[in-house]
Amino acid sequence: MHSEPKQFTDRAALIAHVKTLSPCINEGSDEELDNGAPSPIKGGRAAAEAALAAVDPVGYGHSRNYLDGAVTRLSPYIRHGIVSLNELRNLALERGDPKAVEKFIQELGWRDFWQRIYAQNPDWLWHDIEPYKTGFDASDYADTLPADIAAGETDSAAINHFIAVLKSSGYLHNHARMYLAAYIVHWRRVKWQAGAVFFLRHLLDGDAASNNLSFQWVASTFANKPYFFNLENLQKFAGMEAPCDYHNNKCFGGSYDDLALKLFPNSEAA
Amino acid sequence: MDKLIWLHEDCLRATHNLFAAAPDTPAVFVWDDAYMSAMHFGLKRRVFIYETLCELPVDIYAGDTARVLESFGAAEIVTGKTPNPQLKAVMQELRGGGKVSAIADDPFVRMDSPPELRRFFKYWNKAKKHAFVYDGRP
Repeated sequence: MHSEPKQFTDRAALIAHVKTLSPCINEGSDEELDNGAPSPIKGGRAAAEAALAAVDPVGYGHSRNYLDGAVTRLSPYIRHGIVSLNELRNLALERGDPKAVEKFIQELGWRDFWQRIYAQNPDWLWHDIEPYKTGFDASDYADTLPADIAAGETDSAAINHFIAVLKSSGYLHNHARMYLAAYIVHWRRVKWQAGAVFFLRHLLDGDAASNNLSFQWVASTFANKPYFFNLENLQKFAGMEAPCDYHNNKCFGGSYDDLALKLFPNSEAA
Repeated sequence: MDKLIWLHEDCLRATHNLFAAAPDTPAVFVWDDAYMSAMHFGLKRRVFIYETLCELPVDIYAGDTARVLESFGAAEIVTGKTPNPQLKAVMQELRGGGKVSAIADDPFVRMDSPPELRRFFKYWNKAKKHAFVYDGRP
């Protein structure tokens, strides 16, 4: 038995080697997963330390919900243990007082929370933890992801932008993940599991616990109500990054009450 | 062979506690294509992991995880603790042939009793007592 090489002339050579080691990569997938370009985000502790040097935990608290906010993009490194939650919390405390970095540390808590659930209740990851609170049964949702979503060719320009970013970079801002997840589950009435697999295939930080349990939170199978949004919210938080004009995103137009009636007509809450 | 370190996808850091638990021990990562496909790992993720491995003191072997690890004939395999049931199943399988020690990473918070996990804020109300302290210590 021989070990695999660890030195390559360039990144293209490394990628070519990874492909030779991955003959099963497209099994069970409708997509050609090995034809896409690799992510511009590089693996390794050196790349992680460059990202750590730029972490602004105080600014994060103010702007994290905006797609151009001071987010760290450290999630691929956290997911694989390249950076620990403990060192990130300690770093935050060195760069701001506890009150100023409260949101940053609370978001680390979400990761810890999901991992604890994974250890204690692994069966929750792929099954509805609770019924949908949308007025629909699980059987009302489609089992598979529609082809236009997989291809990034939906009727919404903003959603297509998020899908293109996800597929090209392997990273998506958390708020964009919420928009895309809600679109898949509530606007298209697709089971959260189909959306979760799509995300796992493309996200560098794809983690069954964080990803699937967040999908269940959006879907309302692990929350008291479904998460959805309207165009005004989309324009406020994503307008600087994605095409969010009304004519290319008509499905999100209207008030929250209007959208609730449209998306959840059987729900008492609507 | 006395000991072998098994580095898996959840513990790809040279300062992870598992290295201190087994100093001067050869480390192995198993590139298990079938497992990665079952876990929905696409090309971008695989490149990211491979690049990470290239910076770590670890040898990469391709094949079925349990079979590759067994082939070293180590009396003890030291690895990182994980909630992943598939990796835990491999550890259980390996225990049929020797000792397996799963070493935990530094915790985010140290709690004297398990938190309620039905909703985030039930967990957070307990965790936040230590989350704002260096090393999360009570």
